[in-house]
Amino acid sequence: MNIFYPSRNSHFRSVACGLFLLLFSIGMRFGVSAQDTEHLILISAGTFTMGSDTRAADEKPMHKVYLNAYYISKYEVTNAEYYEFWKQQLEMTSPEQTPQHTPENFTHLPQIGDWPARAEQFPNHPVVGVSWHDANAYAAWKGMRLPTEAEWEKAARGYTNRTWPWGNALESYANTAANEDGYENCLAPVGSFPKGKSYYGVMDMAGNVWEWTADWYSDVYYWHTSQAAMKRPKQNPTGPAVGSWRVIRGGSWIDPIARCSTTFRFYLYPNLKTSFVGFRLAKSTF
Amino acid sequence: MRNYLTLVILLILCLPSFGIINEKSDDHSTYVQHVEQAFILMFQGDNLGAISAFEAALAIEPDHHEILHYLGMAHAQEEFWNKATESYQRSLALMPDNIEALYSLGVAYFRLDRWTDAVPSLQRVIELSPQHARGHEMLGKSLVKRRRYAEAIPILTKALSLTPHAAGLYYELGTAHLNLKAYPEAIENFKLAIAYGPTGYAEPHHGLGTAYFRSGDREKSRVEMQIYQRLQKEFAEYERLTRLTRAEPNNLEAWTELATLLMNQKNFAKAVSVFQKCIELAPNNAHFYHGLSRAFMSLNYPKHAAEAARKAVQLMPNQAILYNTLGSTYAMQGESQKALSAFRKAVELDSDEPYYHLNLSRLYQGMGNQKLAQEHHRIYEHLLSKQK
Repeated sequence: MNIFYPSRNSHFRSVACGLFLLLFSIGMRFGVSAQDTEHLILISAGTFTMGSDTRAADEKPMHKVYLNAYYISKYEVTNAEYYEFWKQQLEMTSPEQTPQHTPENFTHLPQIGDWPARAEQFPNHPVVGVSWHDANAYAAWKGMRLPTEAEWEKAARGYTNRTWPWGNALESYANTAANEDGYENCLAPVGSFPKGKSYYGVMDMAGNVWEWTADWYSDVYYWHTSQAAMKRPKQNPTGPAVGSWRVIRGGSWIDPIARCSTTFRFYLYPNLKTSFVGFRLAKSTF
Repeated sequence: MRNYLTLVILLILCLPSFGIINEKSDDHSTYVQHVEQAFILMFQGDNLGAISAFEAALAIEPDHHEILHYLGMAHAQEEFWNKATESYQRSLALMPDNIEALYSLGVAYFRLDRWTDAVPSLQRVIELSPQHARGHEMLGKSLVKRRRYAEAIPILTKALSLTPHAAGLYYELGTAHLNLKAYPEAIENFKLAIAYGPTGYAEPHHGLGTAYFRSGDREKSRVEMQIYQRLQKEFAEYERLTRLTRAEPNNLEAWTELATLLMNQKNFAKAVSVFQKCIELAPNNAHFYHGLSRAFMSLNYPKHAAEAARKAVQLMPNQAILYNTLGSTYAMQGESQKALSAFRKAVELDSDEPYYHLNLSRLYQGMGNQKLAQEHHRIYEHLLSKQK
């Protein structure tokens, strides 16, 4: 069930979408400048430290995890990128139906706005209003996948246990609820905080939007991982087998900086579509 | 031209229904707005605000099991357990096998002392998610409350395998074994509860005392019961002072007593915030800065400790103990020269306190000055023997 997109509105939305596509097809210039989709960063194979013994209970215990090499996208998926996927969905949908994986509208937040108009207005903003299922479908369409929680943390934290992607100093290198970052109560285009990049050069891993990961959430999953790690580091963990919530990481424009740390874990129902959750992509190297 | 024609036809076809549809669309926009607002408020800890916003959203679109679950969670945060139960039940009516909603319902029943009702929800949780640690824990606790001790033991043991060193689980296991007259197992689990539990965790001492008593060891039982009574008294005092400071937030005497109690209980993290409150009320009182410094030192934050000690010295420059504390904070940071200067000042102001000489002796030793280290150690021993 798509909670933010009930079927009773589908008629209006499909008409609106039809009109939008029609206008597009008859020659209106649509100014989406597509973000380079090939921005993938290779994270080399190896062991890193996951979790924290000094922060929230669900971050305990700090433990070693081994990950195979993988790629992760340098930026979160943007409106312009997602639009290409959505447009294809639209073409496959009959006029009376709402295309699958349509992002939610945020009419009350003009700085984010309605879909698909916001893809034109803010092409380089991270796409929001997408459920975990939407994110997963987009990733599959791109021949990729969502990062696991461990992959996400390694890409953000590096091997030096950074509190924030850029290091341990409290800096305004991310779009958070604080107002001194230059983006007051709104999203920032991806890559707006070059000083906030992670050790591996991955951008925007703190703030702006939370990011869906592939894993189900469990507050004690690290204990299982670390118990196994007593013999050797856990290899490529993929989270619990079942759950209700999917893990989101990184904090967002509505969160204080403390919730944007590289180890902070949060969770959301996978079919929720909010203005503060987006995603990035990952890919195995083989 | 054909496209324009299609557009016009589409618009004509849609015009009659636009009024109704727009209204519904507006409703949905309002729903989205309420949900977004609710999340922001919940993240900020404003649960009452979040409850209002979730309820407003559900008044527009009532059939969202996730939002009903979040509403219940917001109620639970405020300990409105009956309302939380109602929300969870509505959520589960829409999505019966939702693991987290079932768990939440079990917790709410437990909090309402409806342990019999809690059991089926929690049993379903562990059926659906066999690695669900909290599910096992709450089910084990509910079974203990229902006096189903033999059933509780394997559930609590499994919970412990999922969350090792959880003091509360050892306590529950101890209780189950005690009631099954398995005293050696009860004693072992109560001891583990004390070992892994927070400072001032009283209940396992009572359990241990009872287990010793029933197994015939009266002396050990007496000792444990005394500890239990002392901790209970301290807890009662803590509760009293917490209530008093909540009711009278400007009552400096109450805050001071609370700070002292927390330091005695070695609850340094809470002591820090209480000393900070004392300083807010009496910004020129050196003793509060001194207490704050000692709390920070115990938490191994020497920089913060030094800052507070410097402020204390500034306010009362003739108090030897303040220099001694300042010296200790410098020594913790490896700033030997600054520590030396502070310890010397302490001795200069009060040369009869043996521990100031001991600190100076240890510092000299660390700096490689054996002669002065021995000299101050001799003075320390001499003063100590005089005190005795």
